[in-house]
Parts: sequence; C-alpha cells; structure tokens
Amino acid sequence: MTENNIVLKMEKITKQFPGVLALDSVSIDLKKGEVLGILGENGAGKSTLIKILAGNYIKDSGEIFIDGEKFEINNPGEAMASGIRVIYQELNTLNNLTVAENIFIGEQLVKTGLKIVDWKSMVKKSKIILESLNVDLNPKAVMEDLSVSEKQVVEIAKALSKEAKILVMDEPTAALSEDDTKSLFRIICTLKEKGVSIIYISHRLKEIFEITDRVTVLRDGKKVKTLVTAETNTNELVSLMVGRDIKEMYPKREVPITETVMEVKGLIAEGVNNISFNLKRGEILGVFGLLGSGRTSLVKALFGANPIKSGEIFIKGKKVSIKSPRRARDSKIGLVPLDRKMEGLALALGVKENITLANINDLGRGFLINKKTEALKAEKWADSLNIRTPSINTEVNSLSGGNQQKVVLARWLESGSEIIILNEPTRGIDVGAKIEIYKLMQDLCEKGAAIIMISSELPEILSIADRIIVMSKGRFTDQYTKNEATEEKLLSAACL
Amino acid sequence: MAETRLQESNKERKKVGISNTLMLFIVLVIMIAFFGITSQIKFGQQFFFSILNIIPMLSNISYIGIIACILTMLLITGEMDFSIGGNIGLTSCLAALLLSKGINGVLVVLICLAVGILMGVFNGFIVTRLGVNSIIATIGTMSIWRGIGYTLSNGESMLAFNPVIDYLGRGTIFKYIPFPIILFIIVIILTYIIMNRSKIGRRIYAIGVNPMASYLSGTNVKGIKFLLFIFCGAAASLGGLILTSLSAVGMPQHGQGLELTVVSAVILGGTALSGGKGQILGTLAGVLILSILYNGLTMLNIMYFYIQIIRGIVLILVVATYEIRQSRALRRV
Repeated sequence: MTENNIVLKMEKITKQFPGVLALDSVSIDLKKGEVLGILGENGAGKSTLIKILAGNYIKDSGEIFIDGEKFEINNPGEAMASGIRVIYQELNTLNNLTVAENIFIGEQLVKTGLKIVDWKSMVKKSKIILESLNVDLNPKAVMEDLSVSEKQVVEIAKALSKEAKILVMDEPTAALSEDDTKSLFRIICTLKEKGVSIIYISHRLKEIFEITDRVTVLRDGKKVKTLVTAETNTNELVSLMVGRDIKEMYPKREVPITETVMEVKGLIAEGVNNISFNLKRGEILGVFGLLGSGRTSLVKALFGANPIKSGEIFIKGKKVSIKSPRRARDSKIGLVPLDRKMEGLALALGVKENITLANINDLGRGFLINKKTEALKAEKWADSLNIRTPSINTEVNSLSGGNQQKVVLARWLESGSEIIILNEPTRGIDVGAKIEIYKLMQDLCEKGAAIIMISSELPEILSIADRIIVMSKGRFTDQYTKNEATEEKLLSAACL
Repeated sequence: MAETRLQESNKERKKVGISNTLMLFIVLVIMIAFFGITSQIKFGQQFFFSILNIIPMLSNISYIGIIACILTMLLITGEMDFSIGGNIGLTSCLAALLLSKGINGVLVVLICLAVGILMGVFNGFIVTRLGVNSIIATIGTMSIWRGIGYTLSNGESMLAFNPVIDYLGRGTIFKYIPFPIILFIIVIILTYIIMNRSKIGRRIYAIGVNPMASYLSGTNVKGIKFLLFIFCGAAASLGGLILTSLSAVGMPQHGQGLELTVVSAVILGGTALSGGKGQILGTLAGVLILSILYNGLTMLNIMYFYIQIIRGIVLILVVATYEIRQSRALRRV
C-alpha cells in the first residue's frame, strides 16, 4: 500500500452526543484524485463525519491525517487552511450579489496599497476558475437570475477560489435535474483530473455508481464496509446500508383503479398553460418535468395557493372553485409540498401539533382544543404510519427527513383527504424511508385515495406511477401509461 | 447523529422556555421583597405594601397589562402594532369631546371601543390586504391617530367627568379592588385560555412558527392577523378610556411613548419579535417587573432620569440573558 497516495485518513473517529453514539470508531481514507462515495441512511453518521472534517464538530477520539501528517481540526478556519472545502446541501449563496462577489465572499481581492476591493481582478479570476470548470457563466451575473444548478457551480467555484485539496459534496444533486446532474459530473471529472480528491455524499445509488471510485457504507454510526464501486451492485449496497435484504427498491402492487375523482379542464394560472387531465380512484398519476417546467406552479394552482385564471376543476363530478388552500382542504385535497421545512412543517412545534395542523377544528367541540382527542388522533397516525419519534410531543425539527415527510402525510390523512398531491415526496430522504413512503402511497390508493406525484427522479416515477404526464414550459407535452413509458421518452418529452 | 443532537438541544430549549418565565417571577419576587424591605428601612413603616401604594400602582398597571396581553398574541404571529399609543390619545380626546357634548357615558364607551375596532380594521387592512410591513404601517397610523387626537381636542386637555367613565378607572369592587384590575384579570384569563387551550391560539402559534406551512394547511393566516389587529385596536381604546378615567382628562398626549413601554414588557416577558414564541404569563411578569420597578424606585426618591436608565438596563439584561441561555443550550453538544 502506497501511503503517499493517501490524501486524507480519518482513523477511529468517535463522537458521542448526549444519549447516542453518533460515530463509533469510523475510519475512512481518501486517495489523491479519487471520488469516494459515502452512503448511509439518515442518522447513519454521514453528516457528523463531514462536520468533524469541516471543523464544525470536535471529535471525541480518533485521529485525522492529511498527507500523512497528523492534524487537529478545531474550527472551520483550520479545515479551510488545510485545503478542505465543503459544499452543503443547502446552498449558501448570497442572491443579491454577483457571481464574482459570491466566489470571493469572505476574502475579497484587494488592491495592494490602497486596500480597496479590486473588482477587475475578482471578475478576471472568477472567469478563470469558471473556465477551468468548463462552464460558461458570466461573473457579473446576479445570483438570483441563475438556476439552482448554476448556483451550485458558483458554490463549487467558491470552494476552488483558494487551493482545494479535498472537496466534500453533501447531496449536491438533491435539487438538480438529470441534465444538471450530468454537467455536475463533468465538473467532478475535471476536478479529478486536476488531482482534487472528492468525498461525495448522496442518497441516489445511481449517482454513486456513475461517479465514485470507491464507496464507504455507514450504518448506525459504524462503518459497514468500503467497496470498490465497480465491483459491487445496487442490491449489495442497499442491503449493506439498511442492514436488511431489500430486493425491491420501488415496490409496486396492483391496485384497482376505479371511477374518476378529479377532472381538470383547460387550467391556466401563473406558470401553467392550458392543462387538462383526470385522476381516478386508486391511481398514482405521475407528473414529470425538469426544474422550471411548471410542475410546482401546477401544484400551487391545484391547491389554491396560486390564483386560477381560467379553467375548471371537477371533484367527483361536481364543479369546485379552489380559491385558497382552505378550499382545497375542504374539497378533500391534501398537499405534501416540495420543501418540507419551509412549506410543510412548523418545525418548532411538536409532531402532534403538526399532524393536526390542517384539522384544528376537529380537535374538540366549540372554541377549545380537547388535548385528549388530539393526543389520540396523533398517536393513531404515528402508529399507523410508523413515524419514529420519542413521543408525539417531540419537536418535528428533531425527526429525520423521512419521518418528517410522514408527519406531513399524516396531516392530510387526518383531514380525510381523498386526493393527495405529493411534490417530490422522497427528496432528501433515505432509502428505507423512501420505500416506506411508496408503500404508504399504495396503501392509500387501496383505501380509495387518488394520488398526484410530481417527481424528477426517473426510476421513481417510472416504477411507482400508473400513468405519467410530462410537463415542459407550463404545458403538458405527452402522456404515457406505465408500460409505455421509458426514460428516453420522458426526457425527450420534457425538453419539448 | 445530527437528529439526536437537535433533539437534545430542543429539550434544552424547552427547559429554558419554561424556566425563563419562572426566572422572571423569581426576579419579580426578589424585587418586591427588596422594595418591601427598603421601604421599611427608609420610612420606618411599611409603605410599599400599603393600600395607598398598591392600589394606584395596580390600577396603572392594568391598562398597560390589558394592551400587553393582547399585543402578545399579535407579536406571536410575527406582526407588530406601534399605533397603540396614538390610539390611546385619539380615544382619550374622543371620549372627552363626546362627554362635553353631553352624550351618555355608556354610549361614549361603546363609541370609543367601536372607533378602536375601526382603527384595528384600518391597521389590519393595510398590513394584510395591502401587504405593508406592520412596523411601518403602524408607525404611520400611530402618527395619524395622534394627529386626529390633536385635531379633535384642538390640542388642549379637556375635563372628562362622567359616572360611567369615572368607574372605568377609579371604581372599586368590594370597596378596595379597583375595577380596571378586574378587567385586567379577565383579560389575562381569557388570553391565557386562548393561547394555551383554544383552537385559534394554536393557529396563532403555528402562524408565528411557519406562516407558509400554516397557509398551506388551510389556515386563514391573513384573517387571523386581521382579527388580532382588531383586538389590539379595541384593547388600546379600552386602555385609553381607563387612562382618561384615571387622569379625569382627555388629552392628545395621553399614551405618548406607551407603545414602547408595552412592547418592552412583552419582549421582557419572553415573546420573540420574529414570532412563534411567547407566553401570556411571561408578559404578565414583564408588565409587573417594569411597573413595580418604576413604582419602587420612585418611592425610594430616585430621580426619573435614573429610573429611565435603570429600566433600559433591565430590559437589555433580561433579553441578553435569554439569548445567552439559548445559545448555551444549543452549544451544549
């Protein structure tokens, strides 16, 4: 074994949080110019490990070697100084500033002598960095005009504005479409060639196979195994990750599809242009589209959050006017929104309060809340949806992504929704929770609900949806049944 | 595990939340004991706890407290009402003007409360329908209300005598208990029940924590905020009537700067300006601390200038304590 080749070595890292051993003697090593995937369910210890590397947490024990030298990382500054750069899942860009300003934020270039900001050389250097990544982006462009993927490129450029030895990417593709993911991968390859070592964290197995050289699997704070990516397969990784054998990542069962419950005719709203479709009981209708295709606008219009300019919506044959989310709720429509934390949950409130949020009126007769009734309702859903939480009074903030998503779903079940719209239901949640969500969706269909699932994950939509509608530029461009649909067809329709 | 860390810190945060209110009441008890003892030493007899001191002090507290309790609910939704001081000035002048025209006392009270509600409607409209930031909107209406007060009274003070009005501020029940205190207690109980037990209280907290999630769960966010602005308008008018009664004059300067006193008391009580967090009992403690501090220091013959300085220091100290305790709890990883 050539020790010289190893850029980073973390040995027997242990971190204890009150009550839980978050990392139990975990060791990883990273070679020069390599992409190392780190895989694990939420709570497996991925984030903790990265935060220790980035200097956000202090390890309890263990050693970190950089280029063979022992290194103590006590704060983010020291991590930066040793060439470690982390790009977090939530982008930290300042949207009112330009690309160049963002790249050099914190360490703006100054003219010698006068110590005033040297805009020219900042723009020039930004250009050089961006060109080295093979992307065509104007350093003078303002961030808010950029797409999510372009913002991500800026984050990468920012990480590279000073010499970077190790680049950590925490779920970089969570908000990216397939195309954007491809261009991100091109950038990663460019960086690899330059000798940058990359730690790549993702839930998406497909990406792990596409981009990583080796992959380390964590589970419950322990390292399970490190494998050479080319020598493993999905089933092996999944079973290592969840610790049980899961043959089907996307379980799908036959559910009888019966009468039409919702009919939309010629819907026009902001970002939505003349859309018509119908939805049947027991059906999962997939809506596929790239970022900016109008899929979220469609959701908002259907749920009354954006005004409908023209068009008609019928529910069970009756024409309804959905002017507000309240009307949507009363029409038995439920929404699991795109951004759980911003739109879905009142994070500082408990599981209980979040489950009953759409249905406060049913929590007792008259003016007051009957706490017993509420607790019973919340317990019922926490049990039947298998929401893992210490108690129904726990703040939802402390739950994992998958369990948070179940809380949002429970809210709509509690309010008796028959039509449930899920916008990217499995975004940023781990494999185990994903499978649970898919099963739940089909349980609901079996009980007579109808589901609209917006998704940009191809394997998900291809295997879970009964019918798929493709959107582009606010219009429906094509429609396929489950059997007709293929990746190629969906992607080409999405670009129409 | 990040989740576990958060969970622990949340537990901590909750503990801090409970003991923050408790801490205030401990401070309050210490303060009361201090003033009791010093008044005994200074005057050789118990002045602080005498009826001569307690009753007027409590009457003064009550109109501030009534407004503070209602304002707490509005603040928890993340909105603000600075127009309460102006509202008091307007109400006071209006009441005196109506009385001078010989209008029946009960009717005057009803008209004033109705006008207070109208002022609330106006604020609510500007904030929830026109989308103006509530701090800006109510700084604007504060000036408008006060200006109308000056216009109504021609800039002068007017005597305001009337049995009904007199009773509102200076009447007593069971001989000793001033009527405004009864009103205050009723408001405390009502707002406490609303915020801790009722459906609308739950909605108010949820709006403050996450307005978007509340809206997307079918909550009428704008409607509830509108309603709370109306409550604030009515509460300020009631406060204005009590103040008019206590002073027996209606004047446009009534309630000048009072908005800051009330907001200070609410913030002191642990309500977050950003919304989502706050307790009626905390507000009660905040009101009592600020008022008793003022009363006790005045009793000790400390000059008003210094009292101002001390009140400012107390406010900053308490809020800084909240922040320090919270960040400590978060850092305890």
